[in-house]
Amino acid sequence: MFSKVLIANRGEIALRILRACRTLGIEAVVAYSEADRDSLPVQLADEAICIGPAEAKRSYLSVPAVISAAVVTGCEAIHPGYGFLSEDDTFAEVVRAHDLVFIGPPPDILERFASKAGTRQLLGDRGLPTIPGSHGMLRDDAHALEEAQRIGYPVLIKPSAGGGGKGMRMVRSPRELESAIKVARSEAKAAFGDDSLYLEKWLEDTRHVEVQVAVDRFGHGVHFGERDCSVQRRHQKILEESPTLALSTAARADLAERAVRAVVAAGYENVGTLEFLVDTEGNFYFIEINCRIQVEHPVTEMLTGVDLVTTQLRIAAGEPLGFTQADVVMRGHAIEFRINAEDAEHDFRPGAGVVERYLAPAGPGVRMDSHLYPGYEVPPYYDSLLGKLIVWGPDRETAIARSRVALDELLIEGLTTNVPIHRALLASEAFLEGKMTTNLLDRVGSSAFVAAAARSGA
Amino acid sequence: MSTSKGDRRPDAQRSPEERAADHAAVERLTTELLPSLVARLAATGLGEVELREEGWRLRVRRPASGINHGRRAGDRPGRPQPGHAGHGHAPGALESHRPIRGSAGSTNGSSPGHGEPSGFALESDADLPGGAVATSPAVGIFQPRNDLRPGLAVQAGEKLGVVDVLGISQEVVAPADGLVGAALVDAGHAVEYGQELMRIELTGVPSQGSDPA
Repeated sequence: MFSKVLIANRGEIALRILRACRTLGIEAVVAYSEADRDSLPVQLADEAICIGPAEAKRSYLSVPAVISAAVVTGCEAIHPGYGFLSEDDTFAEVVRAHDLVFIGPPPDILERFASKAGTRQLLGDRGLPTIPGSHGMLRDDAHALEEAQRIGYPVLIKPSAGGGGKGMRMVRSPRELESAIKVARSEAKAAFGDDSLYLEKWLEDTRHVEVQVAVDRFGHGVHFGERDCSVQRRHQKILEESPTLALSTAARADLAERAVRAVVAAGYENVGTLEFLVDTEGNFYFIEINCRIQVEHPVTEMLTGVDLVTTQLRIAAGEPLGFTQADVVMRGHAIEFRINAEDAEHDFRPGAGVVERYLAPAGPGVRMDSHLYPGYEVPPYYDSLLGKLIVWGPDRETAIARSRVALDELLIEGLTTNVPIHRALLASEAFLEGKMTTNLLDRVGSSAFVAAAARSGA
Repeated sequence: MSTSKGDRRPDAQRSPEERAADHAAVERLTTELLPSLVARLAATGLGEVELREEGWRLRVRRPASGINHGRRAGDRPGRPQPGHAGHGHAPGALESHRPIRGSAGSTNGSSPGHGEPSGFALESDADLPGGAVATSPAVGIFQPRNDLRPGLAVQAGEKLGVVDVLGISQEVVAPADGLVGAALVDAGHAVEYGQELMRIELTGVPSQGSDPA
């Protein structure tokens, strides 16, 4: 095991990694920007080193600054947390070139999973269903109709050269396809100079379900079940829970087992998450892998009792996992609420400022991962995450009841937070019945959603 | 710094007028009285100064050693503490290695802008009258120029040495015209971004090159 590790991150995750290091008897050095000088992880660190100014590009995203900090403080490894440099295979490679260990998958493995399309192919070949699409580009109208028939309507017409949703068209019938395809071709030609098109199945009202896995250097992998992250606002997760209500117990087990089998076969190493879209019929489709610790990892920790961050450290140090799938027992139900500094009444504008008062909730099954303290000034330069409230109960009803109590207890004065949207969720039929889909909040409008809940007396 | 009021009640129990009055009181305590308290604290060498007024209490406390702030890269045992060695200042002024450019200007927290830390910058070497401090541009190993010795005249912007960042040198430059003063970090030691490296004693008469760059 390492004796000294550099934490190249900030906020709640820096604190989480610091705690994991302490648990393992590892000395932790926190690398920080000038804007984070007074932050809790810096205050609690065994050592702290300023690596640059507030601007992330010159501090948390600066490869030379981070590695130099690790070298001069005598660290053996760097934990990148999430975001920033956590999935940068070039960074991981430079870390290794300086005889340091990147806590995550080794650089060659990160590189293997760097491309989304490449990863879909890689894991698709190893038994994971991916979103059905046409075989190659559409040759002509007849070919398009034939492929659409095979995939099943509705389908999405996508330009090969496009990106970011540009030039995509959804069609529900052969008649619509025939007329849309001509327009799509000329649009693609005009926009990208390339009129090649392909088809993909259009999925409506999807859920986002992800599987947590860990694989050691010896190819021994386990899964820790799934998390449902369907409560999203503009593609940002705001609440996660496990188990998902979108799949039966048998389907959940099937999904998780196939996920871990595929990543082990593809040579993955360390902790990772496979993201899937689940349609209304319960079909699941692999979309991408996250080769790092995720914000919502505590949901899984509450359910399994496994510390995922110490697991990351142990795998990176070359230790065997030390337990098997049979040892992973999932109990009860857990929900995580992301507490963000944002104003629901003003289009979720992110906020910054001084935390005047702060009281974290507690009680059975309640965990608060946060770097706040009274008097702390939230800097305006980074993301708006103030912390995560994670609540466990023996069943979903108890977890929800405990969550209401905990959210009422949580006191953050001086900043506007998104707590109202969490209260609204706990009062909404869609959430209580487990019917949240990824587009629901945006379709209703998040502000309208909060207002509706307030009117109904939540 | 802390302010407190004897009859503290939750916000909800106070009227908007009471709240406005409280905000005004806090504003006055912090903008008008705090700077002089900080100055008094520094002048007396006391650990704490407290002022009571109309049910309000304002307390300014010097950070105690080892509490409430992280140890720094240079603080390993057996090493002089960069930025503090030999100057007899209370340790812990977190602002003391804030990159400070330019001359002996503001010596207390009376600048009207927000975000000015609560006056402890007073303890910073850079704020001593007649001095400026060259700071580190990056995390790495400090190597001063070979020919530097106390009393040598340097100009603002002149290279004083380098910080080696993984084999790539970043220049340390003089923040003002003046004479080389005390070295705050020894050659070959690890430094962090913004760390104070070397004092520059100002020669008094501002020369043409004294633009605080």
